[in-house]
Amino acid sequence: MKANYLFPNRFKKIGWFLFVPGVLLGILYLMYPSDISLFNMNVLVIAEEEIFSNTNFLSISENYVLDEIASILLITGALLIAFSKEKSEDEFIAKIRLESLVWATYVNYAILILAIMFVYEMTFLWVLVFNMFTLLIFFLIRFNWALYTSKNQISDEE
Amino acid sequence: MKNNIKVERAKKNITQAQLAELVQVSRQTINAIELGKYNLSTTLALKIAQVFNQSVHNIFELEESDWQP
Repeated sequence: MKANYLFPNRFKKIGWFLFVPGVLLGILYLMYPSDISLFNMNVLVIAEEEIFSNTNFLSISENYVLDEIASILLITGALLIAFSKEKSEDEFIAKIRLESLVWATYVNYAILILAIMFVYEMTFLWVLVFNMFTLLIFFLIRFNWALYTSKNQISDEE
Repeated sequence: MKNNIKVERAKKNITQAQLAELVQVSRQTINAIELGKYNLSTTLALKIAQVFNQSVHNIFELEESDWQP
């Protein structure tokens, strides 16, 4: 009955410490998609299909890892922020959480469907890249906005 | 579902925050229940009734609209 798959409240702070550097490194990657040599390193590859070349399975190859680092920080950070308990997590907050998650999923896929219809080629690849993060980000915005408004109603009442 | 938590609070002279603490929920939750914006769980209803030393029926009451699908 108590299994709610949420992290303890203190993990929210850890989430921010991962998320913010993730965003900064992500912006750095958008500005320098290949020229920071520090980020060139050999990585273990499970599968890669090279353009005009073969598909490799289980090999080692050189990769610019800035985007990998940024993505992992962003995703783990956003997950921890989104799914750590609030200071006073209770059944009402659980309801807001669920509603926000449903809302975010609808919005995320509505945007994706529009992009499937109207965005093509490399631009669509960028849509997919951003779509890896947007579900969590839409959830965070909607959930925190709903919490904020429910807290604000209190000051009207009392 | 109607409730008279606000009246019971006034009788007992406790704030939303104090009631929230007594039944281990956030203040928003008590506020949302009083405003009829949130249908609370059975457990929480029983806890609130116990704080006021009442039976649940004295505090919560079904409305016609609760029977609408």
